[in-house]
Amino acid sequence: MTHIHIPDGILPVWLWLSGLFLMALALSISLASLRSMDGKKKIPLLGAVSAVMLVSMSLEILPIAYHINLSVVAGILLGPALGFVAAFITNLILALMGHGGITVVGLNTLLLGSEAVLGHTLFSLMGQRLPVFWRAAVVTVLTLLTTTLLLIGMVSMSHIDVEAMLHGHEEKVPAGSVPAPTVTTFAVVVLSLGTIGWLIEAAITGAVVKFLAQVKPELLRHGLHDLPKSPGSTRSSS
Amino acid sequence: MMDVARIDLWAASGSGPLHRASVLAKVIFLLLVVTAAVVTHNPYPLAAGYVVLLLLVASSRLPWFKVVALSLYSAVFALLYGLSLRGGGQAYALLILKAITPALAMLTLIVSTPYPQIFGLLSTVLPELLSAGLFMTYRTLFILLDMMDNFAMSIRLRGGFSPGSLYKNGSNISKGIAMLLVKAVERASRLYAVMAVRGYHGSMAQAGAGSFRRDDWLPLGTGIMILALVLLWR
Repeated sequence: MTHIHIPDGILPVWLWLSGLFLMALALSISLASLRSMDGKKKIPLLGAVSAVMLVSMSLEILPIAYHINLSVVAGILLGPALGFVAAFITNLILALMGHGGITVVGLNTLLLGSEAVLGHTLFSLMGQRLPVFWRAAVVTVLTLLTTTLLLIGMVSMSHIDVEAMLHGHEEKVPAGSVPAPTVTTFAVVVLSLGTIGWLIEAAITGAVVKFLAQVKPELLRHGLHDLPKSPGSTRSSS
Repeated sequence: MMDVARIDLWAASGSGPLHRASVLAKVIFLLLVVTAAVVTHNPYPLAAGYVVLLLLVASSRLPWFKVVALSLYSAVFALLYGLSLRGGGQAYALLILKAITPALAMLTLIVSTPYPQIFGLLSTVLPELLSAGLFMTYRTLFILLDMMDNFAMSIRLRGGFSPGSLYKNGSNISKGIAMLLVKAVERASRLYAVMAVRGYHGSMAQAGAGSFRRDDWLPLGTGIMILALVLLWR
């Protein structure tokens, strides 16, 4: 649910410019942290994970207009720095295809990138307390909850006013009048439909990570992942 | 996203005036249209701009009907978002036009420009890892789309989709995505190894902003016209 499909020119200039600036800053930090390793060796994995994210985004769950992102999978597989880079690449290609505005690439990358970073961090912090499926699923729900709240915060910060959008200035609100609860409506819609989406994404992320742990464990290279001793291991077969 | 193969074919095989224009001019055209969408508060000049773009696409021997249909995809999300604003018909019209006009301009750029030229231009401003990642993602996307088609067909043939069985369908789709990921990594690694053997070291062969050409008047003129429409028609 953390992908803004808002067109260009709706959000205030300061907001999307801040998004672009913060995205550039986060990308610089990510690229600087990747200098210590041979980044070129990671390019095929980066390309593959970003491409799978793009394909998964095309699988729309129609009744609730939700599409999965696999950003948590990207964070788990690539790590926080490269996961953020994958989020940027995915959003740039989406914008090139006309999906979402160009000016909101910064905000979208911050949201999707924070899912990758948070997903990786939480997955690492959880250690081996839970089987790999449940660990990935729980991390996905927690991550998507956090980033959806970030999204709602972003929209509420933007103070979208229909009068301002149509006429370029805000209409004076008479004292005592109740403003239209636009952000509340947005939050209710996003949180209610999003919850179903998080559960679907959590189930898919859990299944994908579990499958990778069984079939291609070398992709989950971080020391904290519980690689199964055998395919039928009870610990990872939940 | 499934249209990426068609878009690539149109970009590589076309020979219209837009195809002959430089990528730099087309990017400036895109920025002019985006600026017009950002600054306007009136749906009418933006609607006129959309018609101008439509004429540009049609006169450039591009499949205008399919390109317009692709640009309308963004209207769905704009409308969903618009519902939360509780504006009137004019607000919805403005919201939709703000979505579809830059989307059509973006599509005009990508259906008339082969992707190495776009990535070549981007690589002049992006660090090497990002431009290489972009290139590798785009290549892998084509491989994945083929694999996805095969996967969908084989899962149907083997009775993998059962109407009403959410658990079974979800489990099969998840395994399919995971298998796709494993295969994509293998294919991307092989592709990267082949490119490295042939001398690829992270930089694009067509890197550079390029220079203006004679046919650039068309995208530049269109972009300026749309921005002028928006600025003058208040």
